Amino acid sequence: MKRKSTAIVAALAAVALGAAACGSDSDGGGSSAGGAKDGYKLAFVQGVAGDAFYITMECGIKEEAAKEGATVTTQGAQKFDPTLQTPVLQSVIASKPDAILIAPTDVSAMQQPIAQAKAQGIKIVLVDTTLNDPSVAVSAISSDNTAGGKAAFEAIQKLAPNGGKVLGVGVQPGISTTDARDKGFGDAAKADSKFTYLGVQYSQNDPAKAASIVSAALQKDPDIVGIFASNLFSAQGSATGIRQAGKQGKVNVVGFDAGPEQIKALQDGTVQALIAQQPGDIGVQGVQQAIKALKGESNEANIQTGSTIITKDNLTSAEGQAAAYKASC
Amino acid sequence: MSTIKTAPPVATEDAPTSRLSRVSRLQALQILILLVVTIAVFTALRPDTFLTGFNIRGIVQNTAIYAVLGVGMTFVIITGGIDLSVGSVLVFSGVVADKIMVAYGGQGWGTVLVGLVAALASGLAWGLLNGVLVAKAKVPPLVVTLGSLSAALGFAQIITKGLDLRDAPKTLVDDIGFGNIVGQVPTIAVISAVVVIIGIVLLHRTRFGLYTYAIGSNAEAGRRAGVKVDRHLIKVYAFAGLLAGFAGLLNLGFFQSTTIGGQSNTPLNVIAGVAIGGTSLFGGIGSVFGTVIGLFIPIVLQNGFIQTGVQPFWQQVVVGAVLVAVVYVDQLRRAAAVRGTKTRLPFLSRTGSASRKGSA
Repeated sequence: MKRKSTAIVAALAAVALGAAACGSDSDGGGSSAGGAKDGYKLAFVQGVAGDAFYITMECGIKEEAAKEGATVTTQGAQKFDPTLQTPVLQSVIASKPDAILIAPTDVSAMQQPIAQAKAQGIKIVLVDTTLNDPSVAVSAISSDNTAGGKAAFEAIQKLAPNGGKVLGVGVQPGISTTDARDKGFGDAAKADSKFTYLGVQYSQNDPAKAASIVSAALQKDPDIVGIFASNLFSAQGSATGIRQAGKQGKVNVVGFDAGPEQIKALQDGTVQALIAQQPGDIGVQGVQQAIKALKGESNEANIQTGSTIITKDNLTSAEGQAAAYKASC
Repeated sequence: MSTIKTAPPVATEDAPTSRLSRVSRLQALQILILLVVTIAVFTALRPDTFLTGFNIRGIVQNTAIYAVLGVGMTFVIITGGIDLSVGSVLVFSGVVADKIMVAYGGQGWGTVLVGLVAALASGLAWGLLNGVLVAKAKVPPLVVTLGSLSAALGFAQIITKGLDLRDAPKTLVDDIGFGNIVGQVPTIAVISAVVVIIGIVLLHRTRFGLYTYAIGSNAEAGRRAGVKVDRHLIKVYAFAGLLAGFAGLLNLGFFQSTTIGGQSNTPLNVIAGVAIGGTSLFGGIGSVFGTVIGLFIPIVLQNGFIQTGVQPFWQQVVVGAVLVAVVYVDQLRRAAAVRGTKTRLPFLSRTGSASRKGSA
């Protein structure tokens, strides 16, 4: 029996090893090929793994890095959550990359861990989200989220010209990007006297919670004309919530981001408009700023990228196609 | 009546080297070997980065809060119970401590001390509630703590309106959360180690620990032997709650945030660590030392996988496989051991002596 269990322990170690080996393969050998002499070693820490927004950003990063002869490894936690991102970041720091591109999951909780990276002599570029004190980074690149939120309200104005009640479905407070979107949307809605702004409800990035928020809100205010869901999961959940309440076609949902599910929802008519950011562009510029910093050139501390409104009308156009996010590179 | 004779706890003092005591020692050893092998593999794959001071420091820091929760969870699981509420109690205590520290004002040690008392009191209150409901109301622990998981998080959200609080005093963040006690030894890890040592002593060297094993092995036998089972169960759950409250303060120092949305997987991760560490979910068997090793394994795996560039989703698969495989191996050995010692099976003496040897 003793021998048997020892064998199983050995087998476990083999499994771990095997996974490590095959994982590197399926990852395109990113890290194992890191020996290129002049190539900088870059690391990209996503806000959450497996999200079309970050995958599109990763595509931009890889493309630009390839031009510069740099290698990229990408890692992300399973949820958009600082308690999960911190250990991921610490492991990435320990692997000693030259620069880290990171989307911090909390404005304050990620401050210290990222400062640790800087203390190790690693150049930091903040992509998409930011920190309370972004000075630890050489550059912070993000969408103009306030403008994005405003664009979302403009989309609702067009879809419901007579006005009415509008609701925001946010992720969770403290994420710089979605806070700015919600603010941009709220300010624009308050400025238009035809519309009543019902405030923001938070879904904690959980589609099921977004669905229950929206179906409950529709119970209370059946005359809601527009919902702005400020990220992917909130939009998915909001669409479900509207279906639950049997209000398809009566409530306009404007989603933020344009992942494959969002595009499908737009085609199906559950979502009436999407505000697409330019994650690929954020990635490209992030790599450019990281390389500049590594070469000792001066950086732009703040870069803002734009957004596009996608509706059913412009979805098939070249503009709409370019704005949609990718599920893989 | 024969009942008095059937279960004398004194028997634990004797029966020095049963087969099980050796097996138990082996169990902790095997998990340790698994950990060492894992570390060796990753060190071989990434010799220049894995076994560095910075990386070890990171791994230890990331395990520290789990270890504090793990000590309490080990006690609860040894009694045959479970505590799903630790993550929510952690959040709740962090929220209460944060509010009270803000009301008290200041950024120094005095404020931290006030926060500590608040966090411990909040954790203890939830633990006592869990304990009373389990021991006196006879509601199954899974249900009780599932209820408090939900309720404690709900109260935390009511107090904060769902917004994470971020007002941790500077001392808590700079000296405890991210500070070093000497050189590069993180304070949070030392604090956690002290809790672990207290846990080990309490479990393996005191009457409190002995009763904990006794209840988990055979509550009725314990009762007949004179253990006040209900009262002891309440104490065990209260202890777990107290530690969750303490972890709440550490969490506040480490993340500078009450992490309201971030602790939903914490109880499951801690339970996984306890199970990998050789504590039986049926109760009666287990060690705090094993739990700590069991908590290190998933964190080391995650760290190593990230450094070797494994796709993130593989990490979950392997951690899940390791959990089931380790518990399966453990089960095989126990089954064999039970067959081997079938003729004399006094549950109390078996676990009591096993635990003594297993603690080293």
